Amino acid sequence: MSITRLRLLYATGLLFAVPLASADPLVSQGEYIYRAAGCHGCHTDAKHGGKPLAGGQALATPFGTFYSPNITPDAETGIGRWSEQDFLRALREGRSPAGDHYYPSFPYPSYTKLNAEDLHALWAYLKAQTPVKQVNRKHDLKWFARPRTFVGSWKGLYFTPGVYKSDALKSTAWNRGAYLAEAAAHCGECHTPRGALGGIKSGMHYAGTREGPDDSVIPNITPDKKTGIGRWRVRELAEYLETGMKPDGDSAGELMAEVIDNGLRYLHKDDLAAIAEYVLSLPPVEHSVRKAGKKPAKKEEFE
Amino acid sequence: MNQTHIRHRIFVTACLLAGAVPAVQSAEPEDIIKYRQNVMKSQGAHLAAAGAIIQGKVGYKNQLGDHVKALQASTRDIPGLFPKDSDFGETKALDAIWKNNADFQKRAKDTRDKVNALAKAVTVKDSQNYGARFKDVADSCKACHKDYRKEDK
Repeated sequence: MSITRLRLLYATGLLFAVPLASADPLVSQGEYIYRAAGCHGCHTDAKHGGKPLAGGQALATPFGTFYSPNITPDAETGIGRWSEQDFLRALREGRSPAGDHYYPSFPYPSYTKLNAEDLHALWAYLKAQTPVKQVNRKHDLKWFARPRTFVGSWKGLYFTPGVYKSDALKSTAWNRGAYLAEAAAHCGECHTPRGALGGIKSGMHYAGTREGPDDSVIPNITPDKKTGIGRWRVRELAEYLETGMKPDGDSAGELMAEVIDNGLRYLHKDDLAAIAEYVLSLPPVEHSVRKAGKKPAKKEEFE
Repeated sequence: MNQTHIRHRIFVTACLLAGAVPAVQSAEPEDIIKYRQNVMKSQGAHLAAAGAIIQGKVGYKNQLGDHVKALQASTRDIPGLFPKDSDFGETKALDAIWKNNADFQKRAKDTRDKVNALAKAVTVKDSQNYGARFKDVADSCKACHKDYRKEDK
């Protein structure tokens, strides 16, 4: 090994003495996926001043309240003892290192579509984070959702493992947008209505629901002109995903503001445009999420 | 128009005025909520209009000042739109507005400051910074809506 090479290694060593995550391109790539996948939002209890990724954030659903786990690299309370294989199995198969099924409140039905390269990078990013020792509350579920076997049957019905497959008939940008929306950003986990068993309703892709997490009404984001966002242009949707401002000047609130603040606004403009192109190319579904008897008049688009 | 008609008109106007004054003093919460929503909608509309000019989607450069002035006027006292008893009914305002009122006031002041900064840039024609100042305003709106507004019901 030449002297120069040694010096270079020495310099690199010094660099890493101060933890500078982004110095490693793999970690930077992982951070990008971490933003796109919105890990931060659920795994950080921001409302109570929780540390990043230390978990404890509540997610209220019709099945009860889930409390997110600690995914910092702490050995006792986080994922510090996990191997990369454990991590891959969690995201691709929805199984814990001990082999238990995860509840689909962890959106592995989407993350299973992430490609190997991005998962490897995401793992590198998570490992590079500061460990936090924090034990979180157990899920507080309704009786019928408690048995883990319930999750096994659920997966049999609604979970299809496997990486995202490109559609050869569509453009590269469209496929990139589809990959980001379906595998990483997991838009459908909130925006697609679910049946009584919590499975995604077919034919209702992105059509919105009145029974969103935390008792929120989740809008229809299909390009239906009356009940969806069919009047938005690709550029407007891309801008919204970056800034949170809707074409009418209203701003994103609550859950979506969080998704934008901690995630989407960090994405490249090309990627946001790709997501917008993909979303607005989907089949429009006429489905109003507003109160019965309250017609979605033109004026209400502005509320 | 004859004398009777004019008298009739004066009488009707007087009645309307007499009725209007006490009605303001004890405004119905529902009316306050509607008023608030209309003011908020107008803010969004002016913000989007200003944005379209700043981003060069449309011309109308001479109108930019008007939109910004309207924003300045209507963001001067946002907390004033949220009196104590206007927290129920057809509103998306969250209880946190009244519970964490000091923080809410701080957020409203932030929005006002950001709008004033945008207005200043427009007044001195500092067009280089229109985009950045505009984004500050949009961010300020989003920050407050994130914590203090329930999504559509």
